[in-house]
Amino acid sequence: MAERKFSVRHVPGAAPIAIVTFIALYAPIVILIANAFNAGPVIGRWEGFSLRWFASAMQNEAFRNAALNSLIVAMLAALFSTLLAVMAALAITRGRRLKGEGGIFVVLNQPLLVPEIVLAIALMIVLAQIKQATGYHGLAYMIVAHSTFCIPFAFMPIRARLEGMDLTLETAAMDLYAGRFYTFRRVTLPLLAPGILAGFMLAFVVSLDNVVVSSFVKSPGQETLPTYLMGELRRNLSSEIYAISALLLFASVTVVAASWLITRRKP
Amino acid sequence: MLEIKSLSKTFGAGVAAYHALRSVDVTVEDGEFFTLLGPSGCGKTTLLRLIAGFEQPTGGQLVLDGQDIAAIPPSRRPVNTVFQSYALFPHMTVAQNVAFGLEARGTPARDVAARVEEVLQLVQMDHLRDRKSAALSGGQQQRVALARALAPRPRILLLDEPLSALDLKLRKEMQAELKRLQREMGLTFIFVTHDQDEALTMSDRIAVMEGGRLQQVAAPRDLYDHPANRFVAGFIGETNLLPGEAGNGQLRLAGLAPAPIAEAGAESGAVTVMIRPEHVVVGQEAANAVHTSGRVDELIFFGTDTHVKLSLPGGGSLTARTQNSLHSGTHLTEGQTVPLSLPYEALRILPDEAAHAV
Repeated sequence: MAERKFSVRHVPGAAPIAIVTFIALYAPIVILIANAFNAGPVIGRWEGFSLRWFASAMQNEAFRNAALNSLIVAMLAALFSTLLAVMAALAITRGRRLKGEGGIFVVLNQPLLVPEIVLAIALMIVLAQIKQATGYHGLAYMIVAHSTFCIPFAFMPIRARLEGMDLTLETAAMDLYAGRFYTFRRVTLPLLAPGILAGFMLAFVVSLDNVVVSSFVKSPGQETLPTYLMGELRRNLSSEIYAISALLLFASVTVVAASWLITRRKP
Repeated sequence: MLEIKSLSKTFGAGVAAYHALRSVDVTVEDGEFFTLLGPSGCGKTTLLRLIAGFEQPTGGQLVLDGQDIAAIPPSRRPVNTVFQSYALFPHMTVAQNVAFGLEARGTPARDVAARVEEVLQLVQMDHLRDRKSAALSGGQQQRVALARALAPRPRILLLDEPLSALDLKLRKEMQAELKRLQREMGLTFIFVTHDQDEALTMSDRIAVMEGGRLQQVAAPRDLYDHPANRFVAGFIGETNLLPGEAGNGQLRLAGLAPAPIAEAGAESGAVTVMIRPEHVVVGQEAANAVHTSGRVDELIFFGTDTHVKLSLPGGGSLTARTQNSLHSGTHLTEGQTVPLSLPYEALRILPDEAAHAV
């Protein structure tokens, strides 16, 4: 008897459920973006297309500071977490089998398992002590905090790339008089580069979007884009916020799409 | 000259220990095309990896030109490998792949370029020097892998079943070309294969391996004509094995007239006798041969020759090969009983297998 494949598309009601789900997921976002381009200040009353809210956001110094902070934190947090993720991925996929590899995975993926609010409180308590002891209140705390929860996101594409790599290539390099470091620089690293880039971009986006950890760890007066938006929402619901949200969304989608395109390329 | 002295390799320990190589002794001469032949799991690839330095021996020595190289890492051994999967660097062009070994050794850029050009011409790949290696066909990748391994001028070139991924026609071409290159350069090749035809056509000497041991090391012709044991006789070419009895310079095949064979003096008692199918004379009683008859059970046409499956009066069976040339007048039909001759000089006595059991 021929094997018949089960397809969810043939289940009665699958199509309506899919349509409703898509509307529920994307309608609010579409409405938000539409309002960012609305000339008038009131949601639901379209007064024509305009970029005035984007223009006014650009002139808002608080927004510019928050955006700059977000970029600095996301850049550096992504950089550090990617570096650590590369090392972890190399340790796991290369060389001898490590003892307690399962334990290593748990530790690496800890930010995915621990509730974010718990992580935020823990970081806040520890970092507050350091702030008090050193008197330094800069962005470094936020960068360290973001680096921790970005690691698993940077780690995943890098490990996938390393596991798909033919180990014979490294053997061949050594056979051709290359030492360990030369092999890494000329063979392993270039082949790994797309995975590293994808990991970096994912970490960047995760850091850029973070609210919970940022609000607990930030020093007074320090804002990232998401915490700035939260603060503004509490005071007045201006259309400027929609414009800023649209910008943030655009930045995230661009980076995620780029990282997807990079990983999709064959090694 | 590469001297392999009681080299062994064991993976794991205790009950789980796997003896991949059991005290192998052999010397590979300079400029030799030396083939390691055997079924998968016989230890031939392990031996190659030990020579390359990818594995460490658990016992014995590897002496290259008087120096024990067993402890030298692969990156400092003057041997290069052509891998079964080619292992070309996919992010590099053909020329960059070939230059890799030279650059890793710190060769000046001008010399690298000259040598790359020279080697690429040698394998007829110079027209594709700027192509990414991933964009090459199997045969082209094979040539680049060869060029890359030759570029640093190794003392010995190791080839790990390099032709197994190619189709038959291309494989035959590459066999001839490898042999030509080896002869022109006078370089030592150590070639691993499980394909006996490949081994017979290309090699100066063949080492037949089984169960981590060398079964026999000999030139192709000697290996075919004088196999050391049943394993080699069965692995190289087709063969008939018949029970017999030896003693006093006489060999007696079950139920047949005795044959005077010099070798029979050394052995006595029950022996195994080998005769290649092409030596069996079908349809006539030749001189200096043991005579019998056989019933033709099956005729299998192979173009240049026909395989004749025969059953003997004593109950055994025998395969013969008859040439299909114009002047070979025998016309056989299935079911027919024909006279058979087993020439004395084609009969080989194989030593008792029990003493050689693995």
